[in-house]
This record gives sequence, structure tokens and C-alpha cells, in this order.
Amino acid sequence: MTSPPDLTQADDLLTDKLLASGEPAAIAPVPVTGVIAGVRQAQKENTRNRVIEAARELFDTQGYQGTTIREIARHAQVSVGSVFTTFASKYEILSQVMRDRLDGLYAELDRVMPHLRGATVDRLRTMFAVHFAFEVRHKKLFLAYISATYDWTLPSTATPMGRNLRLQDIMRESLCKGVAEGDVDPSVDQQEIIDLLMAAYVWVYRLAAWHDADAEEMTRVMDRQIGLIAAGFSPKC
Amino acid sequence: MMHIAQIQASDETGVKAPTRRALAKQQTRAKVLAAARRLFSEQGYEGATIRDIAAAAGMSTGAVFANFADKSDLFREIMTTDMLALAEAMTEAAAQGNGVEDSLQKVFAAGYRFYQTQLPLARAAFSVGWSPEDGPALRNAPPVQTMLNLISSQLERGVQGGELADGAASPLRTQMLFDAYLSNYDHAIFQGWAPEALQERSRDQIRILLAGVRRS
Repeated sequence: MTSPPDLTQADDLLTDKLLASGEPAAIAPVPVTGVIAGVRQAQKENTRNRVIEAARELFDTQGYQGTTIREIARHAQVSVGSVFTTFASKYEILSQVMRDRLDGLYAELDRVMPHLRGATVDRLRTMFAVHFAFEVRHKKLFLAYISATYDWTLPSTATPMGRNLRLQDIMRESLCKGVAEGDVDPSVDQQEIIDLLMAAYVWVYRLAAWHDADAEEMTRVMDRQIGLIAAGFSPKC
Repeated sequence: MMHIAQIQASDETGVKAPTRRALAKQQTRAKVLAAARRLFSEQGYEGATIRDIAAAAGMSTGAVFANFADKSDLFREIMTTDMLALAEAMTEAAAQGNGVEDSLQKVFAAGYRFYQTQLPLARAAFSVGWSPEDGPALRNAPPVQTMLNLISSQLERGVQGGELADGAASPLRTQMLFDAYLSNYDHAIFQGWAPEALQERSRDQIRILLAGVRRS
């Protein structure tokens, strides 16, 4: 049986790729067959949401390494094949889970940060306090994310923990504001401060995971670490 | 540390010569460890299975399990051996330092040089270090404590020498210095930074973390 090139399918594949890469679909899928295409799109969306939902739960309870695609599929009640047509890899799923969660967090931060008054050190403390309050319910998920950073199968396109540019941007804005307001030394290398803050931030999750610290305790420890780092960026008199 | 010294002492005096059987067991362990080190470096911690390691060492999986409880035991043994050697190199490096900043910088540089040729193993170690099951055991391995003590004693020396204010050698500052040191490995693993670049970065980090307690 010979069939002509199936353009509908080609478009679907393109859409898959765009969705899987997490990029906004720059090209709208061509509405080839109207209703049928719409139904198919809705099904795909449904599969996608179920996979993400299931994966979030599993990563959060049994970690990244301990979770297989097969389990995710079973939990989401979809076939293993359809997981793979939606996502290129397990890491891709984890990235999407984290992106969905963090989008909410960053929206919150974008809303809060411009209204914060006070010294730079306090603005940074508030920013991390918001983080911990938001994340503490899923701290294992967060650990899974960090651990996955070092995974062998990690695609080079992935943006793992620590290279999270949006978080770094928020910190940089805060430091720049501090320079303008005179409580951050303009001669310090801001990237170095940001790296230290990131290292401290990530470290605090160990308290949560292995010593069962709550958001309040994480915030308390982070506050002290930020204070210590701030001594390094305050202007010398 | 104490019991290692004792074992070495008894070896030297030749009081208790190892039996042939003990020797054979030692050789088996060494073979397994060498194969495991290679496979962990090539395939990561998750990618390397006990079965692969046994095959690479030319023995049965049963023989591997006769010597090691499981894969994490095997990995921890490799890391512990390395970290003991590294802790020693760091201690020597610290002794060469001139002042607290320089000493700490030399301690960290010793680490970056040590892992320069085995970054894949370091990557595997970070992965294990963050895993919920095996992380704590690796993070709390005795040589890690030795490294933390070494950092803390550099700070103490700085206080005694009048470079740093009292209370500078706090556990928090010690831990943050160690974390800054560790976090720089990401640059080497993912962006190919040379040890010199890592060293320079850590020098700045040390300055920042000491700024609040420095006596002018």
C-alpha cells in the first residue's frame, strides 16, 4: 500500500517538537482537517498534562533516578509510546514539571520584588523566603532536579539548576538597585555574588531533605548566609 | 585515622603476614575497584551496573557481591580512597600558604588539580551526593569532615595571627567556603574551566566570604 506524504502528520511532528522543547509555538499548526485536528490536539494536550501530573508525583516521592518512564506512563494511564511522542526524554519531563512550578514562583516574585523597600540584603532575604515557602512542600522534587543536573543522559540543551538564568536575573536586578542606592559596592563582581548566593540557596535544601527543616528554618539559615555574603558586597568606608 | 596508622604499623613490623587467601581477596577487591572506577567514569553512577563491572573485572557478579554490599558501597569506597588522598594533599597545600586567604586558596587549588583528570567521576559523585538515598552517606564520609576541619583550622589560624576577628571560624563560614569550593566544579564539568580559572574564581569567593571578619 502506497500512501502520499502525509502533511498532517508532518505538522503534528513539528508541533510535538515545539512543545517538547518548551519553546512557544512560533508557527501555529496549520488547521488541515478542522475538527479532527482539533480533537487530536486536545487529546495530545490531555496526555501531556497527565504525564506531567504523574511525573511530578513520582519524582517528588521517589526521586529522579528512581522513576522510570514506564512508571510515569502507568501512573498517567497512557502508553509508554505516547509519553515518548510528547517528550524526548525523562529529563525533558522533569524540566517541564519544574518550569510549570517555577513559572508560578517567578510570577509571584515579579509581582513582589518591585515593591520591596529597604536594604539590598533584606530584599534578597525576602526573595529567598518566598522561594522556600513556595518550594518546601516539594523539596524532594527539587532535590531530584539538582541531582538530575549531573545525570549522564542530560541533553546539552537542558538548563539545569544553577544555570537558572531567570533567578539570576532577579538577583542581578536587586544588586543593581543596591548599587544605585549605595549599599552595594559597584566594584564587586556581581556574578560572583550571585554564584555564592546560588550555592548557599542550594545548600539549604540539604537541611530540608536530610534534616527535615521546614521553610522557616531554611529561611533562618539562608538569612545568615546572605548576611555573611553581604559583608562582601557592602561598600567599604 | 588512628586505626589506619595501626594497620600500617603492624604491616611494617611484619608481625602478621597476610595469608594467601587474604592476599587473593585483596587482589579481587582491587580488580573490582579498578573496573568500577573506569565504568563510573565512562557511564556515570546510574549507567554502570554491577553486572557490567563484574564483566569488566573478569569475574562473576557473585564474586563482586562477596566483596561489596552493593553498588553504592563500591562507589563510596572509591570516593573515600580518593578523598583521603585529596585531604592529605590539601593539608600539605595549606601548610605552604602564606596567610589565611592564600592557605585556603591553596587548599582549594589542590582539589581542582586533583580532579582535573577525573571530572567524570566528580560528576558522578555530585549526582550521588544529591540523591535522596545515597547522598547523606557520601556527604558525611570521614574525609569530608577532615576537609571541613582543615578549612576551619585555617580560619582559626587567621584569628590567632590577628588577620581575622574573633568568631571568624564559625561552622557557617566554614561550610560556606566548602560549598563555594564545591560549586565551582560545575564550571569545570559543564564549561571546561581549567584549574587556574577555578582557582581565580575561588580566590574572589574567599575574599567575599572573609570580608566581614577581616581586620584591617
